[in-house]
Amino acid sequence: MDLASKLEKLSLELVQKNDYLYKVSVKIDQLESLLLSFINEFNYITLDSINCRDDLEDGLFTITYCLQTEARDHIVMVQTSIERETASLPTMHTIWPQAEIMEREMHEMFGVDFPGHPTLIDFALEYWDNIPPLRRDFDTLEYVNSMNPFRGQRTDALDTKEEMKKKREAKKAAKLKAEQEAAAKAAQEEQNNPKQEVSGDE
Amino acid sequence: MFGLDKGDKMESGFYGSSLKCKFEESGLANTHAIMEKAVRWFESRSIFVVAYGTGCGAIEMPPTFTSRYDAERMGVVGVATPRQADLIILSGYLAYKTLRRVIRTYEQMQKPRYIMSLGSCPINGGMYWDSYNTIKKLDDYIPVDVAVTGCMPRPEAVIDGFVLLQERIRNGEKAGWEKYDENLKFYKDNQKRVLGGHVDPAYETDWYNLNGGGIA
Repeated sequence: MDLASKLEKLSLELVQKNDYLYKVSVKIDQLESLLLSFINEFNYITLDSINCRDDLEDGLFTITYCLQTEARDHIVMVQTSIERETASLPTMHTIWPQAEIMEREMHEMFGVDFPGHPTLIDFALEYWDNIPPLRRDFDTLEYVNSMNPFRGQRTDALDTKEEMKKKREAKKAAKLKAEQEAAAKAAQEEQNNPKQEVSGDE
Repeated sequence: MFGLDKGDKMESGFYGSSLKCKFEESGLANTHAIMEKAVRWFESRSIFVVAYGTGCGAIEMPPTFTSRYDAERMGVVGVATPRQADLIILSGYLAYKTLRRVIRTYEQMQKPRYIMSLGSCPINGGMYWDSYNTIKKLDDYIPVDVAVTGCMPRPEAVIDGFVLLQERIRNGEKAGWEKYDENLKFYKDNQKRVLGGHVDPAYETDWYNLNGGGIA
C-alpha cells in the first residue's frame, strides 16, 4: 500500500510540497498511531525535529514532527494542534530516544507538558519563574529592559558632528596657510633671483 | 616570601606592612620600594590564564597562545584550572547560567586575580542586547580589569589587552579583586537581582546523579 492511499483510508490529506517534502495534518488522538505507521510501514524511521508554533490568536500550539526515510530521500511533516491553555502532548521518547531532549526544550520554551517524560527539568534556562520565553504573550523587550538596562552614555563623550566640523575647518585653514606660505616663498625667491631675460635668437 | 616570619600578618598589597617596618628599622626604607617594584615586575611577566570560552571569542584563544602570536613570549601562559590562574578571560556574551559558573570560578581563584573580557557583549550586550537570558554589563557582577573591544577582537587586540594589564600591574594600580572585596555588597546585590536567590549553581554531580540522567 502506498502512502497516499493509506492516508486516504484514514481520511487524511497528503500535501506534496516538492520532490521530497510531504505534509499531513492530523488530529491529536490519531497522532501516535500515525507516527508508528510511518515508521513501520513506510520506513520513515528518523525523527529530525519537533517544532512548535504559537498561534496566539486561535489559542493553539501547532506542533510539527519532521520524519525522514532511512535512505534520506523523503521528509514528511506531521502537523497537529493542541490547546494553548492545557498544552499537553504524548511523549515520544520511547519511540525515538532523541525526542527526550527535544521535548525537554519545548517544555522549557513553550510550557508544553509531556506526561510520562522522565526528565522534564531545567534545560538551557535555570530557575525560570516567568512565562515561558518563546510564548508570544511574553514581552521580551519589557523583560530585558527591566532586568538589564543599557549602560549610560560616557560623561566625556563628544558630539561627532561638531568634532568633524572642527576637524574639517582646521584642515582647510592648514591648507590655506600652506598655500599662502608657498606663494610668499615663491615671491621672495623671485625677488632674490630675478628672472634673466631670455635672449632672443642671435 | 622574602623572609616573612610565621606570625606576620599579610595585608593588602603583595606583601605585608610588617616587612616594610623591618626595612625601615634597618634604615633600608628605600629597599622596600625597590623590592615592591621588582615583585610587581615579576608578577606582570608571569600571568597564568584560564581561558573561559563563554562565547564566540573562544576561537581567538588558540592563535593567541600558539606559535602564530605566541603570548608566551610575554609570560602569558594558559593553565587548566582557576585555582592555578592569575587571569580569567571571559570571551564573549554571558547567559545567566554561565554567569553563575563564572562567579564560582572567579571566587575560586587565588589573589591577586584579574579578569579580562573580550568583545562587545560583556560591555553592552552586543548583538544579544535583547535576549531574555543574557546579561549586558558584566562589570556590574564581577570586576573586569581589562575589556578588549571588537566583535570579535583579533589576537593582536587580545595581546594589547595583556600589555595594558601588565602595565597596570607594574604601576601598582588598584586591581579589580581589591574593588570586589571593598564593594562586595554592590556586586552581590547585582548578582542576586538577575540570578534570583540562586547565585551559586547546583553542583553538576547533583545533576548527573539525581535530576538528570537524560541525554545532555
